[in-house]
Amino acid sequence: MKLALTRIFWIRFVAILVILVFSVLLFFIGKQHTVLLDNKTVTIEGEEIRALQLVEIQINNLEPMELAARDRDKEEVTGQKHSVTIIYTDSNWEEYTIERTFKLPLMQEMVLLSIPTLVANPEADQSLWLENYEPPTYAVTAADSEEEVVTDDLSVLLTDI
Amino acid sequence: MTLQMTKTQKLLRIIGNNTVPILFLVICAFGIPLSGYSANYLVSEIVIRISRNSFLIVSLLIPILAGMGLNFGMTLGAMAGQIGLILISDWGIVGIPGIILAMIISTPISVILGWWCGKILNMARGREMVTSYIIGFFMNGIYQLVVLYGMGVVIPIRSNSLLLPRGYGIRNTVNLIGIRRSLDDLLLIRPFGIPIPLATLFVIAVLCLFILWFKKTKLGQDMRAVGQDLEVARAAGIKVEHTRIVSIVISTVFAGYGMILYLQNIGTLNTYNSHMQIGMFSVAALLVGGASVSKANIRNVFLGVILFHLMFVVSPMAGKNLIGQAQLGEYFRVFVSYGVITISLVLYEVRKKRDQHYAGMQLAAEQEAST
Repeated sequence: MKLALTRIFWIRFVAILVILVFSVLLFFIGKQHTVLLDNKTVTIEGEEIRALQLVEIQINNLEPMELAARDRDKEEVTGQKHSVTIIYTDSNWEEYTIERTFKLPLMQEMVLLSIPTLVANPEADQSLWLENYEPPTYAVTAADSEEEVVTDDLSVLLTDI
Repeated sequence: MTLQMTKTQKLLRIIGNNTVPILFLVICAFGIPLSGYSANYLVSEIVIRISRNSFLIVSLLIPILAGMGLNFGMTLGAMAGQIGLILISDWGIVGIPGIILAMIISTPISVILGWWCGKILNMARGREMVTSYIIGFFMNGIYQLVVLYGMGVVIPIRSNSLLLPRGYGIRNTVNLIGIRRSLDDLLLIRPFGIPIPLATLFVIAVLCLFILWFKKTKLGQDMRAVGQDLEVARAAGIKVEHTRIVSIVISTVFAGYGMILYLQNIGTLNTYNSHMQIGMFSVAALLVGGASVSKANIRNVFLGVILFHLMFVVSPMAGKNLIGQAQLGEYFRVFVSYGVITISLVLYEVRKKRDQHYAGMQLAAEQEAST
């Protein structure tokens, strides 16, 4: 069969192309990521960075949350580019605010944001305080027991006969 | 000379043409006081169900216009929609982008399935409804093969929350938390405490306007002509087979979208059963609205959703209050769903025979008058 390169063919071709591009765009803007907000003492290159006693953290325009030392919480965000605002006080009760933007890898489901590391290195590259996080296998692996798949509602009636 | 009907005959004819809606009005009139639900609660439930089901039921209108009866093959579109939802759940696409992406994924699957279904229905002319019903069962087997054995093996699925413990196949239920009520909550108002999802209702209104516009287009007029008389339409130069296939394709695609809107409201996908139930309930709701195998309009859709789902809401509680068992109400509503389809199909045949008889009598009277 010979392909006729008519005007209608090109209109259809462009329409399909536009839909494909739109789908990719939807994938980028609709992809959900989990950001773990971690306020625990960490050791980076042999240097210990202590957790903050109390810190307020906000991702984008979501509800701000307060974390005490050794707390960990999570936020779910969509898209790749985000901002983080951290408000904390030092030992002299002086309040500081740090604002940074960060970009998440597209296919990464979960990342861990270390608040003490970001506070200690506010100008550092995001790779220092933001790392990919893979949940422990025991947390995602389901129980070994087989789940019974019900493909037919009426099968129950048949087995009862 | 024409045969004149008496007032009683006219009244009986109106009642005969609207037997099912009248029957449901009577059921609801008895059921509502027995259930003890407040008006506010019932209105809330009906609004939710209109936003949840209307799109699916509207998808049945075009094949009726084309004379192909009630498209039980809409389950094919529902399966396509579910495949779209499974994939976006695996990819972690949430919110409105997730819904739109699921619709885009479902479209080519629906088009292919609809085209294939239309081809078969052209071969089984005159027996479209039973054929589309059986196609639904056949395709369900293919769907199960793909979802139960193909996903996780041939089609990559990464999420462990979707896969069965054995490592392939999708679980019985898929949590659609990422898109749950995304469209409904986009523009939600609550006058008098009644939640009205304006965005979803807007989408349904756009579809209704599309149907009204479509009926006036060349293709819509062709479908009407094909629906009235195949041979006359063919003689008029209309590509009958192609027109019938297009009607099924459009219906299947809309059914896929409708299923996605339905499930975003529910929030949980029953992987192996949702699509089979929805075909039956959509057809029943349309028939309750006063539609027949050969005639249906948008008014029937909304009247059907209101009456059918009002019965769905009140019957368990009415059953419980009446004889102390909610289970009776559950049985009753399932029995009524299937019963209403049976009654409508029987009444359609009775009405057709009665009209033929009346037309014959009228012709005889005219001939007698002319001689």
